[in-house]
Amino acid sequence: MPDKTPLIQVKNLDLYFGAFHALKNVSVDFHSGELVGLVGDNGAGKTTLIRVLCGIHKPTSGEVWFDGRQVKEFHPKLAIDNGIETIQQSVGLCDNLSIARNFYLGREPVRRIMGIPFLDMGKMRDLSTKVIREFGLRDNVSADDEVERLSGGERQSVKIGRAVEFKNRVVIMDEPTNHLSVREREHVNELALQLKEQGLLVIYITHDIFQVHKLANRIVIMENGEKIEDALTSSMTADQLEEVIRQGGRKVEKREAV
Amino acid sequence: MALAALKPLVRRHAEIGIFLIAALLVLWFSASSDGRWANFYNLASVLQVTATLGLMSLGVALVIGTGEIDISVGSTFGMGALVYLWLALRVDPALAMLAAVAVGAAIGAFNGLLITRTGTPSLIITLGSLMIFRGIAIALTEGFSFSIPYGDRSGATYWALGGGDLLGINTALVWLVVILVVLTVTLKMTPFGNRLLAVGGSASSAHSRGVRVDRIKLAAFVLSGVLAAFSGTLEAGKLGFADGSMGRLMELQAIASCVLGGCLLAGGRISLIGALVGAFVLSSIQSYLVVMGVKPQWFMLLLGIIVVAAAYGDRRLRNWSVTR
Repeated sequence: MPDKTPLIQVKNLDLYFGAFHALKNVSVDFHSGELVGLVGDNGAGKTTLIRVLCGIHKPTSGEVWFDGRQVKEFHPKLAIDNGIETIQQSVGLCDNLSIARNFYLGREPVRRIMGIPFLDMGKMRDLSTKVIREFGLRDNVSADDEVERLSGGERQSVKIGRAVEFKNRVVIMDEPTNHLSVREREHVNELALQLKEQGLLVIYITHDIFQVHKLANRIVIMENGEKIEDALTSSMTADQLEEVIRQGGRKVEKREAV
Repeated sequence: MALAALKPLVRRHAEIGIFLIAALLVLWFSASSDGRWANFYNLASVLQVTATLGLMSLGVALVIGTGEIDISVGSTFGMGALVYLWLALRVDPALAMLAAVAVGAAIGAFNGLLITRTGTPSLIITLGSLMIFRGIAIALTEGFSFSIPYGDRSGATYWALGGGDLLGINTALVWLVVILVVLTVTLKMTPFGNRLLAVGGSASSAHSRGVRVDRIKLAAFVLSGVLAAFSGTLEAGKLGFADGSMGRLMELQAIASCVLGGCLLAGGRISLIGALVGAFVLSSIQSYLVVMGVKPQWFMLLLGIIVVAAAYGDRRLRNWSVTR
């Protein structure tokens, strides 16, 4: 069962990109041991919201609390140090670097020689090789190959493998099954469940309410930068939630008119 | 086909093109100059020019590695030379060198902070600082040159800072080799190098992995400023004098060296040794034109034509390497 105090608490969050109001007064709690499906149409603000949580965007106003402390400074480094691993949709891998170097980018293991930090390439190769084998990359792909060589599915696998390997307290997955085959998709969904069982918080973003309804214990629906639904999967069926998404925009307008 | 076996090698090492061009030019220059180009004295002078241009190119290559560009290095070179000459006699040559390097670091920090804090393209910021520091150099010298009389240029420090020869070759070359090794190791074998190339490959991906993109870029600009000013110090140490125009247009040669040497202007892929060989090619061409008695007014034109031809040849080689 989820803890009483939320691990991540978002309070009245607003975010503007110039004049564009990307997040509108969003408040939501996330607990350890939960698998939360974050659902909504394109442009609903799902990715923007998690990019605040993983430190890429700084909110214009509102508060974010992590583990009982208010987050004052937003940078991916701080989020990672706090144990938040994120599988981003469009970023996360540098094509010009090898798999091993990408794997450890920003947290490179070092061996000091006369105080100077040198990359521990042996360690970097070993662990990333283990992970790419587990995640079924082609046999002729080595950890020293540049990411440029990889297919879309293999890139996604590297990102997922990295997040799982470094998992700590939170794993955020933004459309994790994109580019993946049916079998790989099942593998990823199974991993998400395992992480939840291990007591981590998993936030799973997708368009597909039916897919995530089977996995998640709670669904948060966003629309036009607002949270419009937050319900346990035990209390609403996937069909009911889909109806909410379909009606979403209109319902919001009605609320504003009142 | 034996040649086809070379394709993967060429693909992986963008600097192979410039090695090939350098080898061809050396053969051509040696064969066609009747010993006037390929003699020890002339080659030593080519290597001295390679050393100063090469040091500058190494710094520019690091900045290119982050996906930015630094065209202010010609002025930084001049500032380094002037600061060194101004202080060497008044204070001490070693301290003068440190002061010159500090000025270079300050110019680099000026560039780097403006670029990362304001998000303005580095091309326009460093174009501006190219003019600003050239303007300061011209204003400071008021049309005269700073110099150290030959008789005062004795002692180990003067010797080590470009003022003397080791085995007949200017000491600047020793600095170049040492700095090349240090920077290559830094780039390939340290977290800083990994992050620098990551920033050039995809700044947003690097950022999402927790890399402090702005700090990496700032560090690259500072290194570039330091190397350009140090290179100016070595040139001033050799010549013993400098005026406000010292290092003019060198920034373009440094960028050409990098690009010829296989550095991708988009960032993320650079070759330090390639940039050096690029600098060697440019200084070889210049010296060839001199020894062949070509009138100086034709230098620019001929240098430009050869650079374009070399770039084209390199492009052909690159394209060939990716065909089946």
